[in-house]
Amino acid sequence: MFQLTRLIIKNLRRNVLRTVLTALGTMVLVLAVTSVWSVLDFIDNQTADKANDFKILISDKNNAQGRLPRSYMESMRRGAARGSDDVVPDDYMTWAFYGGTLDPTKSSRENFLFLIACEPEKAPTMLDDLDQLGTADTARLNAAIEKMRKQPNGIIMGHEQLKLMNKEVGGRITVNGLTFKGLNLEFEIVDTFPKSAQRYGQTSIMNIEYLFQGIDEYDAKNKTKLASGVAPIAFEMLKVKNRQDYERLAAQIVNSPLYTSPAVRCESGGSAVSTFLASWKDIFWGMRWLLSPAILVTLSLVIANAISISVRERHQEIAVLKVLGFRPGQVMFLILGEAMLIGMVSGLISAGFTILFVNKFVGGIPIPIAWFDRFFIPQVALLWGLGIGGVTAFLGSILPAWSARGVRVADVFAKVT
Amino acid sequence: MAEAEAIVRVNGVHKYFTRGSERVDVLQGLSLSVPNGEFLALMGPSGSGKTTLLNLIAGLDTPSSGEVWIGSDLISKMSESQLATWRTRNVGFIFQFYHLLAVLTAYENVELPLLLLSMSAAERKQRVLTALDLVGLSDRLHHRPGQLSGGQQQRVGIARAIVTDPTLIVADEPTGDLDAKSADDILHLMGELQRELQKTIIMVTHDPKAAERAGRTLHLEKGKLVHEERRSKATAS
Ligand SMILES: Nc1ncnc2c1ncn2[C@@H]1O[C@H](COP(=O)(O)OP(=O)(O)O)[C@@H](O)[C@H]1O
Ligand SMILES: [Mg+2]
Repeated sequence: MFQLTRLIIKNLRRNVLRTVLTALGTMVLVLAVTSVWSVLDFIDNQTADKANDFKILISDKNNAQGRLPRSYMESMRRGAARGSDDVVPDDYMTWAFYGGTLDPTKSSRENFLFLIACEPEKAPTMLDDLDQLGTADTARLNAAIEKMRKQPNGIIMGHEQLKLMNKEVGGRITVNGLTFKGLNLEFEIVDTFPKSAQRYGQTSIMNIEYLFQGIDEYDAKNKTKLASGVAPIAFEMLKVKNRQDYERLAAQIVNSPLYTSPAVRCESGGSAVSTFLASWKDIFWGMRWLLSPAILVTLSLVIANAISISVRERHQEIAVLKVLGFRPGQVMFLILGEAMLIGMVSGLISAGFTILFVNKFVGGIPIPIAWFDRFFIPQVALLWGLGIGGVTAFLGSILPAWSARGVRVADVFAKVT
Repeated sequence: MAEAEAIVRVNGVHKYFTRGSERVDVLQGLSLSVPNGEFLALMGPSGSGKTTLLNLIAGLDTPSSGEVWIGSDLISKMSESQLATWRTRNVGFIFQFYHLLAVLTAYENVELPLLLLSMSAAERKQRVLTALDLVGLSDRLHHRPGQLSGGQQQRVGIARAIVTDPTLIVADEPTGDLDAKSADDILHLMGELQRELQKTIIMVTHDPKAAERAGRTLHLEKGKLVHEERRSKATAS
């Protein structure tokens, strides 16, 4: 087997140009599939309910873009529980979105800052993945949160965002509000999210109380209410342990007399994101069921083409191998092995390159959907690359390999002499 | 040597090919026996079925009917896979156009059939070096076929044919593509294989001078082989 593999590698050297072109074709297509799958994978993760961690989102019932008044906050944190029979959520986080630009005359990307206004002490438990940091990173995150508690205008910024804005930890910035038009706020960057929390590279959080304080000061100073300040809360996020509690809590909130204007609705964290993504549904469907298969089929054809040319060219050589005693199965192994070696090696290289290129060099695939605007290639893409390369190469070469297997020696050498 | 036990026995073999709807009968009830250690030449006009017969004896094809025995093996009844395994150990094949693998060096080409047998790397190496030494190419181990002359390539082909130490060596026009001098060297080498290593050799040739090297020459006749004709003549080498 090892000896046959050596022979495969030697065969690949035969036509270096073709091998390289096939490998390059494979790499480009694996790059495309990997990128598409990364987006889909991210979306799937977002919309999947974690089994022991049910999140409820309370938002405006009738308007997906609607906001909730501040007066709802206290009771929402308790899940609208009043009697002792009522379910009380295990945890909560209030979400508002404050976005703006550092330079109102220039609205370029590096000037734009988007902040999640929330209770920062809730970040480790309520933001996905932040409960899975290593000890050192957890300690650092907790220290940063502690700073934010002492310093209302403190923010934690994603490290990529920090780099993009060309700022440093400890720096001060003034943001000219866009989501809250007219509300300009000053911030101090107290720290970044740990790098190991990859998906928070572009996320920044601020104290929600600081946002509220800003709104109050605006109202007092201007003797009129900031229009967007009346209902600043995007949604309240609650956490319960199981589906049963989730359902009781949802009913309790929806039926509560506290929330009438506007009325609220409850959804699971996953389904909330799904609703949010509903308008993109067709695109995701197309990516999953049209684009990915199309790329995979193309890839198989690229490999099938290269391998069948190579098999046709080598009919005589295959016949010689058979004369020497190579069995049909071994001949097939040689051809399949040749294809799969190109496929798997270039798939792996391509995935590794994609991870480096997209994550490190470009800084994510820029598809601004909902509050995530960039997608990153997960490490598991290395396995995808290997798998895609291997499987498409197998499918692409199975027919040529089968025909090589069936090469009849007597026919190849049937020359009247 | 003359009375040695037959290593090749072909009994009433028929072979036909179908081209579209047309049936071409190539061999019709041919029988043949080759004693162990003989150097046999097959001669005959083009299309007389020499290659077809050689392929049946070498286990590259199976007869339409009749039996082919090599030693105690009835190879005409073997499956393709069984034949492949059998060929590795029992037959060495020498081609007119050498058919070396262009990407492999002389050494690697000779090593190729040994990859199918289980043996230690050391033994494999020993065998390859011995075979190449025997054909006088010890100084060309790492040359590719493209870097060798026709005669040298055919020597590599012969080394590849003998490296598994088969009892039977078949050659289809081994000198057909060579100049007179190289052809003579190759034939001399084959004579040595037969005399010194006691190999049984069956060689198809067009060249009467080549046939003179053989202990016996069989003449196949008639392009279509409508009738089986078998003429043999014994010639001293
Ligand atoms: N694989 C094959 N398929 C069809 N016809 C064949 C095949 N091999 C040989 N023949 C035919 O059989 C006849 C004998 O061929 P062959 O044995 O190669 O002759 P020779 O080697 O004596 O010149 C020819 O007519 C040839 O066309
Ligand atoms: Mg012939």
